[in-house]
Amino acid sequence: MTLLRVPPPLEQDVDLSKTYDAVIVGSGAAGGMAAHVLTSRGLQVLMLEAGKKLPIEQELRSMQWPYDHPRRGDAPPGYHSLSFNEYNIRTPPYAKGSTFKHVMSYVGGWGGSDYVKNILVDEKDHPYTGTKYAWVRARALGGKTNIWGRLALRLSDYDFKAKTHDGYGDDWPISYADLQPYYDKVDLYLGISGVKENLPHLPDSLFQRPNKLTLGEVRMRESLKNMGRVLTPYRAGVTTDGLKHNRYRSKCYGRGACDRRPGGCDIHAAFDSPTGLIYPAMDTGHLTIRTNSIAHEVLVDRNTGKARGIAFIDSATHKSYEAKAKVVILAASTLESARLLLLSRSPQHPNGIGNSSGHVGHNFCEHVMGPGVTGLVKDLVGKPPTLDDGRPGGFYIPRFRNLQDRQPGFVRGYGFEGSGGFSIFPGNAMGTPGFGAQFKKEVRDHAGAFIGMGGFGEVLARYENYVDLDPDAKDAWGIPTLRFHYQFGDNERKMCEDMVVAGREMFEAAGIEVVGTDDKMLTEGWSIHELGTARMGSDPKTSVLNQFQQSHDVKNLFVVDGSSHVSASCQNPTWTIMALAWRSCEYLADGFRKGTL
Amino acid sequence: MTDATDRPELLSRREMIEATAAALAAPLLPAQAVTAPAAVALPGKFLTAAELALLDALTDLIIPTDDHSPGARAALVSGYIDGRLAESLDPELQARWRSGLEAVDGLSQELNGKPFMQAAPDPRVAVLTRMAAGEADPKTPAERFFTELKRWTVRAYYTSKVGIQVDQEYKGNVYQRGEYAGYDAK
Repeated sequence: MTLLRVPPPLEQDVDLSKTYDAVIVGSGAAGGMAAHVLTSRGLQVLMLEAGKKLPIEQELRSMQWPYDHPRRGDAPPGYHSLSFNEYNIRTPPYAKGSTFKHVMSYVGGWGGSDYVKNILVDEKDHPYTGTKYAWVRARALGGKTNIWGRLALRLSDYDFKAKTHDGYGDDWPISYADLQPYYDKVDLYLGISGVKENLPHLPDSLFQRPNKLTLGEVRMRESLKNMGRVLTPYRAGVTTDGLKHNRYRSKCYGRGACDRRPGGCDIHAAFDSPTGLIYPAMDTGHLTIRTNSIAHEVLVDRNTGKARGIAFIDSATHKSYEAKAKVVILAASTLESARLLLLSRSPQHPNGIGNSSGHVGHNFCEHVMGPGVTGLVKDLVGKPPTLDDGRPGGFYIPRFRNLQDRQPGFVRGYGFEGSGGFSIFPGNAMGTPGFGAQFKKEVRDHAGAFIGMGGFGEVLARYENYVDLDPDAKDAWGIPTLRFHYQFGDNERKMCEDMVVAGREMFEAAGIEVVGTDDKMLTEGWSIHELGTARMGSDPKTSVLNQFQQSHDVKNLFVVDGSSHVSASCQNPTWTIMALAWRSCEYLADGFRKGTL
Repeated sequence: MTDATDRPELLSRREMIEATAAALAAPLLPAQAVTAPAAVALPGKFLTAAELALLDALTDLIIPTDDHSPGARAALVSGYIDGRLAESLDPELQARWRSGLEAVDGLSQELNGKPFMQAAPDPRVAVLTRMAAGEADPKTPAERFFTELKRWTVRAYYTSKVGIQVDQEYKGNVYQRGEYAGYDAK
């Protein structure tokens, strides 16, 4: 079966002599959304992307069988993916002194490094320093949305008003009611699949048809009801019924490559920024994109102190350019946007643009992961194989801690992601002891009987967790690198201990035999959910942006990515990033027309 | 699932088992050439013919043919490992495999008084059993080699066509045109 593919729209010529209405730095979820909203409001927009425009279908090859690949999906010799031990025994820059020609983040090691080797950055060119941190970066049109995990969740007032609830940290300057209409817009424009559960702490989306559960998962769902908890099919940022308004994306056919590699969907049923947002924005005639463009400074008008454009370097030629615009929008990712703000020093903004508060880079937070449970559904042993992995994900168990109750050891909460059933590779083979016919039969009989899940917990936003610029280290283009001052604290450790206890308890209650637990916290950064380095707030002394992600200091500067988040919550951030960007860009477009920026 | 969709798989499994029998009888390399798609296999050779034969025998003891499906030999596991070793830029990895295979012969000498390939089936299993004894906490060179050998054998076998289609009877990587497989949440 082949699907008709609509080629990307023709690109408009970049005209750097002209002043665009808006320049957007970054083309991931946030940048793509900004481009969509602003072009639909008629603004002339230039988008700068540091990475390449890739022939993404050729990169992803979602349906390639392992045996039709000469290295079963591995990258050719010379490529190396960092391991957990490397991240923990050493400190960054991790690729320093490496004998490998190319070094990738740990994501390459998921068993499919050949499919992401051109999407992930080469750590050799992109060093950073400071405390240990597994920083995953994708420089390509679409950024990390090309390979994201697709779990698309909303936040609730348990998150936006978390301080009111438990006294820790700060509330967001918005509530769920402010964002709810924009979550709805994102749902309808991009498509999301899931099941309504009517939970106050995990609001429902406007779902397309859900993915289904496997037998072990159904059993868990039934059992959890008795504990007042919910197991719901993976809420996936995937269109399962199709989108009539988008000709670049197919509906999901349940082909199931999603889980066996670091993401990526070559028919674009899973949301990615290029086909979901950027190509349709280009079709308006209002969007110009320039790839291979590494932004390194927000340019400032010496008279007004306002932003006047972006200075960037062409990644291939190393030549310097300026892009001029009336409004500057940063959407380069939580850490890269903070870096860019800090790099933009001028007489008007000596600590970096938008940083009169001194909070840029601070209050850095994310999700902690690692602890989890593996179980065996005994009566599934020896059952004939079924199609269990033809879906974007298995299940999600929303947060259940510190909602009505108060845990003694920690504040906030965590959710579990997991799945059970058959997959293309019998993961149990690696852990089954012995050899020979008995080993082989045991692997076969047990392959579909396992169920596993891992926690994703809120890392508290703390001022003392931050990034700044390294005074000495530079990347391959001579741009100062980030230096990390970041580590998990006691709240995260206590929470992770509880994940193991609670996970075990839920399995046992469902009659699932616990065959393994993992209590190890993965390295800081592992969740790829970094947030909060330029947080929103109503007080310009303690926050960087207002509730519309607009700089308190510079009215025509917006930062629309995850750096604006006040707290991490425990829900995956992509859907919230896009809902916020939509809301802020509507405000921006209104202000642009009224001349108030 | 209807009979019509099941039948091709059953046929192909039988064909595969027959192919295995042929591979067991025939010299090693030509048998590989019969089933290996030329465009996909890595071209390089690192191991000597004797080393490759030993590796092939070891992998096929780890995952043998049974009445359900062919084993590692039919899945061309040793040739795949050899191809990866040949193109590796890591001399330590290559040296580890070479000395690992040597250690197997050394252990066979110790236990059976002859090299592994000259030993009968049961003494061969005895050698591998000794190597596997320390699987949870490998200490001797032979035990450490077993861990690496098994990991690569497992990886190569269960990513092979034989492993995925015949042994595991994997149902996915297909377009589901109607309802998705599985159970509704309600």
